[in-house]
Amino acid sequence: MLIAKKLTKIFNNGVLALNEVSLTVDKGEFVFLVGASGAGKSTFLNLVIRQEVPTSGVISVNQQNIAYLKKKEIAYLRRCIGVIFQDYKLLPQKTVYENVSFAMEVIGTKAKVIKPRVYTVLELVGLLNKAHVLPSELSGGQQQRVCLARAIVNRPLLLLADEPTGNLDPDTSWEIMDLLSEINKRGTTIVMATHNREIVDGLQKRVIALDRGRLVRDTPKGGYALET
Amino acid sequence: MKPRSFFYFLHEALLGLVRNRLMSLTAMGIITVGLFLFGLFLLVTANLQYFTDLAWGEIELRVFLKPAVTNQAAIGKQLSALPGVQSVTYISKAEGAVSLEKMFNNNHLFLDEENPLPDAFNLTLTKTADPEELTRLVTAIPGIDEIVFGQDFVKFMEIAIRLVMVAGLILLFLTGLAVLYIVVNTIQLTVYARRKEIEIMKLVGATDAFVRWPFLLEGIILGLLGAGLALLLLREGYTYLVFRLQHYRRFLPLLTGKEINLTLTVSLLSMGLFFGGFGSHISLKRYLKV
Repeated sequence: MLIAKKLTKIFNNGVLALNEVSLTVDKGEFVFLVGASGAGKSTFLNLVIRQEVPTSGVISVNQQNIAYLKKKEIAYLRRCIGVIFQDYKLLPQKTVYENVSFAMEVIGTKAKVIKPRVYTVLELVGLLNKAHVLPSELSGGQQQRVCLARAIVNRPLLLLADEPTGNLDPDTSWEIMDLLSEINKRGTTIVMATHNREIVDGLQKRVIALDRGRLVRDTPKGGYALET
Repeated sequence: MKPRSFFYFLHEALLGLVRNRLMSLTAMGIITVGLFLFGLFLLVTANLQYFTDLAWGEIELRVFLKPAVTNQAAIGKQLSALPGVQSVTYISKAEGAVSLEKMFNNNHLFLDEENPLPDAFNLTLTKTADPEELTRLVTAIPGIDEIVFGQDFVKFMEIAIRLVMVAGLILLFLTGLAVLYIVVNTIQLTVYARRKEIEIMKLVGATDAFVRWPFLLEGIILGLLGAGLALLLLREGYTYLVFRLQHYRRFLPLLTGKEINLTLTVSLLSMGLFFGGFGSHISLKRYLKV
């Protein structure tokens, strides 16, 4: 599903964000990407969705090397990847329903497909009764669920989550994790960058640790730190 | 583009215009001012051109023959055959004297001496006549002594038109740049206000074209509205001016509103389209790099 070979990213200001990172994520896996701030987690995710271009190395999604894509191909790549953000990135003037349906409209989905699928996804994340309210009327956890609904509504093969629980309290964080686990069980591959030690230790999934741009650990079922 | 997509883009564009109505009005106002100046320039140059064309039609070229010439009829035929000549009238030395005496209140100018005037031809020219070429051809005919041509005024007009055109074009270019700059900045503000939306669109897989269309339509609508307003002001203003000056038509010939409307409409609407569309295109470039 996701392969990186000697993936290196050096920014224009000379900062080495990723240094020859090689890893493989298989279809249906749930992977935690851990490491201190500045370790390269977000850069890695940004390379996967082609917000950044690697300096060297190979990165492929679904057997396609995405380092060299045309603009239009980038759009099509992103249609098979869902993204969840720490700050939700919801559109404040659109309702919950519109925020989710928007993701389908912009890729040209037919109107008759959009409505039932949005309601199905909102039901899955438990927000069916909030479909027509604005994001400002929702709690942080609920907003993150809208973000999650938007990320999965186009049925992505791969779901990237960048600190999805970073702004949430522990109970709400677990609610989001339960949802992510449920989505993963349905076959979606998930790569989640996180600082949340409790969640990583609690779920005992595959953990990839980065330190100053280098891959320092890849444990099939591990905790946040090496000793756990 | 699918019709459904078009309506989606149009809906988003109209929504954008309403949401950012103050900025939209500013951009529209600036386009109106710019295009009003452009239209004014068009009206002035079109009328100067019209005036010069009319003047050409009234120009006469007088060809004087050498005293010894006897084949006036043959020369007249040769003159008629020249390109750019509309009509040829023969004026004998006697007729010339009569006409000259009329100009001086029927005083007998040549009582005491022989009529010194030569035989002559009066030539009227077509609009397409090339005066310099014609002068060259006429001079080449044997028996021609001198050519008097009232072209100085028309030449002066042509130079004046050229000067007005050059000055106007420079002024228009600068005005166009200023309008484009302000339109780009205004639209950029609306794009900036919606950068988050653009970022999300791009991240969920919208193509650049999909993101761009609503903004392009927004710009085009603003451009056309601005052009429409400028057009309305110019057409009404010009019609009023022509009406007020109708009594001076003989001295100050003006194109009628009907004669200029099509050119004005097409030019202004295309410029509005350009300012709005190109302005949006430039404004968006930076925000599409997600």
